[in-house]
Amino acid sequence: MTRTIVMSSISHRHFRAPSQTDGTGQNDPPTAGAAQKPQKQLTKAERRELQERQRAAKAAQTGSSTVKQPRPTAPASSHPKKGGKGSEGPVQGRGSPSTGPSGPPNKSTKESKPTAATAAEEAAGRSRGLRIFSHFALQKSVGHVAKGDVHPAIVRLGLMFAEFKICGANARSIATLSVFKRVIQDYTTPANNTLSRHLMTHLSVQISHLVSARPMSVTMGNAIRQLKLEISGSDIDLPEQDAKDALCGKIDNYIRDRIIIADQVIQETAMKKIHDGDVVLTYARSSIVQKVLLEAWAGGTQFSVIVVDSRPMLEGKRLLSTLAAAAIPCTYLLLPALGCVISEVSIVLVGAHSIHSNGAIFSRAGTALVAMMAKQHSVPVVVCCETYKFSEGVRLDSFTKNELAPPGDPFSSFPRNRSPGSLVIQNQPNLEILNPLYDLTPPSSITAVVTEAGVIPPDAISSIPLALGRLV
Amino acid sequence: MATEPQTAAGQRPVEVLAAKLKRRQVVGSRQTALETALVLRQVVSKARFQNITQLVEIIRSVGRKLIEAQPKEHTVGNTARRLLHHVREEYNNASKGEDTACATEFSIANFVLQGQPRRQAAELKAESTLVLKENDSDDPDSFARTLKPVVMEAIQDILDELETVYDNIAKSAKDHIHSERVLSFFLFWSYSKSNAGWVSLSEIILTIGRSKTVETYLKSAAHYHKFTVIVAESGPSYGGHDMARSLSSSGISTFLVPDSSIYALMSRVSKVILGAHAILTNGGMFAVTGSLLTATAARAHSTTVMVCAGQFKLTPLWNLYHEYGALDFDDPSGVLGFEEGDLVDKVDVVNPYYDYVRPELVDVYVTNDGDHPPPSMYRLIKESYDDEDNEL
Repeated sequence: MTRTIVMSSISHRHFRAPSQTDGTGQNDPPTAGAAQKPQKQLTKAERRELQERQRAAKAAQTGSSTVKQPRPTAPASSHPKKGGKGSEGPVQGRGSPSTGPSGPPNKSTKESKPTAATAAEEAAGRSRGLRIFSHFALQKSVGHVAKGDVHPAIVRLGLMFAEFKICGANARSIATLSVFKRVIQDYTTPANNTLSRHLMTHLSVQISHLVSARPMSVTMGNAIRQLKLEISGSDIDLPEQDAKDALCGKIDNYIRDRIIIADQVIQETAMKKIHDGDVVLTYARSSIVQKVLLEAWAGGTQFSVIVVDSRPMLEGKRLLSTLAAAAIPCTYLLLPALGCVISEVSIVLVGAHSIHSNGAIFSRAGTALVAMMAKQHSVPVVVCCETYKFSEGVRLDSFTKNELAPPGDPFSSFPRNRSPGSLVIQNQPNLEILNPLYDLTPPSSITAVVTEAGVIPPDAISSIPLALGRLV
Repeated sequence: MATEPQTAAGQRPVEVLAAKLKRRQVVGSRQTALETALVLRQVVSKARFQNITQLVEIIRSVGRKLIEAQPKEHTVGNTARRLLHHVREEYNNASKGEDTACATEFSIANFVLQGQPRRQAAELKAESTLVLKENDSDDPDSFARTLKPVVMEAIQDILDELETVYDNIAKSAKDHIHSERVLSFFLFWSYSKSNAGWVSLSEIILTIGRSKTVETYLKSAAHYHKFTVIVAESGPSYGGHDMARSLSSSGISTFLVPDSSIYALMSRVSKVILGAHAILTNGGMFAVTGSLLTATAARAHSTTVMVCAGQFKLTPLWNLYHEYGALDFDDPSGVLGFEEGDLVDKVDVVNPYYDYVRPELVDVYVTNDGDHPPPSMYRLIKESYDDEDNEL
């Protein structure tokens, strides 16, 4: 089990500075950087991973004449040591080094000067706004042009991530893994290299491209770490095609075991919590909650659903149309109206983006409000969540790390009966629009978490990896 | 008697306002209060009455009609009650000779028995020169003639109060909001190298939707301090957008956030300032939807909740039955528009105007009559209105 890369609570925007300084010494990158890494913080596994990376980098360098393109070394590999130095901040995007901070992609490492300029600009902009919000990095529009040896499928996926065409922790992980299968199949090991060592660096480039499109989700981080483990463990003597097939098989297994079958188990367990005559309240749209509701309805349970929704994404509308199509009686309301209905609710079912070892749930912004109100009215709050969403770090509030939806109204979430002129859609002098995508529900307002390993109270979430034999 | 046709003639403005209220052409607690006061002035100026009972009945009937037209605009009734209170006071002052017996001696027993603490009792106008002749058969108008100017004056007082209410509430703004300078340390060394030093950590205030009172309050505080306001937009009306635009245009650093991020940001908010639609006797209030959510989130983070509201919003009502706020619903198209086509007829949509916020969620009411904790709303209401007017 790799130790997590601890990110500073000041978060990724602030990470720009170090990555620049590193960028200057990019030619001999991970080897030099890694030496400074405080050894104390490394577990055995991580040290081994590090060594392997160093060896791979060295090998790549010596063989770089044979490699078609001068490989832009992923800044990623230099991040973890910064992260390691960082403070006791919450942990996110852990594990595989390249998944570390969602800060600058390889772009910044290549030409450090322009980045410095943009950083200065940003600093100027920051002084105008409020400093404490400065770390909510805004989405950068990811270009169609990818730096480095990025697979076209990854470029496509990056765009879909950036435009929120694919969103949701499960969807993103499945999409990423499926595309990685293609990347692996299209990959040929350069001469004087082994697949188990070189593929990793090849993947790092792909991953940092994805991260530049949208910060990595915990689920993607977990899946990628597992994949890297498999790659480094693959047999050197295996013929290349067999090794690739084996890896793709592993990916398929991961998707099947950790996501699809896990979902089915959760469905069956969570279904039993819905009884005849219940009023189920859910917030936004979670794929697993949708499955639970549809399954329960198909199973003959008579219940009604209240879908609560809110800007900026209004994802609940999609859930609503699915449920309405299945003829489930539905009520739809926006988050502020929650107080009206909460006393009539029998159970709250929500999904999660990630769960943390202190029992906190990182989920779509607004979930914490729903859980808080439900808890106050003694309505059980049940979170449906696969165990691969587990993140070992402790999160204490939704503020330290978050993601922003782009300003404007990309999800067309404003009602049509309001004239667009009366709405503030873009930043104005003294006025900034802040659309955090996630919030953190404290364990105190959660009743239980339904996982494929069973229904557990939030206090017991830290035991998930143990229960799974440290699979996570 | 003669009052019957007379009141009927004075009914036109009442009917007009009632229609407007019904169609929600006049909305907002202050606007309705103003309109009501204006209608009362017209009615009273034309009304003919011979004794206090008739005058009270005229005012009451106007109040009743308007309340019936729009029971959720509580300030309509409040304005009528306020006027009745003033009228009785003037009347009592004038006819002091008769019922001056009312005890001026203070004791617990009196306090309980009287039940009606009269603040103005102390400042009885000694030079009351009115000589009231009730039911004078020789000159039926003499009573009206003497009392009318006083009543008109009372109405003018109410109007003046409504005009200046925002400024009066905002008076205390600079005392409640502050900004301080502290030395801030950044954990991140390379960053802090260039930015270390004294950084102004201003107060961060969160508000939801649009309230003219809160807007004036914050703008007034902005003259003295630098602070930041986070405005939650309060869907589906999205009044927060107007609020944010207005605040930022007067130089206040403003952040506009969706309602969903209230909880996420609350940990950094130092004060929550809300507006009210009506303040109830138990210290709870009706306020724009989302207020309950905001106040509850603030309570969860132990953040202070201030409510800015004019005295005219004090309503002699209790809300014992509903979390449901005022049980007043807006049309659903703001939540689920007709562009959703097939969905519209399959699902129920709930779109309430107001939330009911329990008294324990509010720390202080900032009114034009000073700052009060929720439990003293009961006393303020007792002082402002007469018990017999609670039902008009």
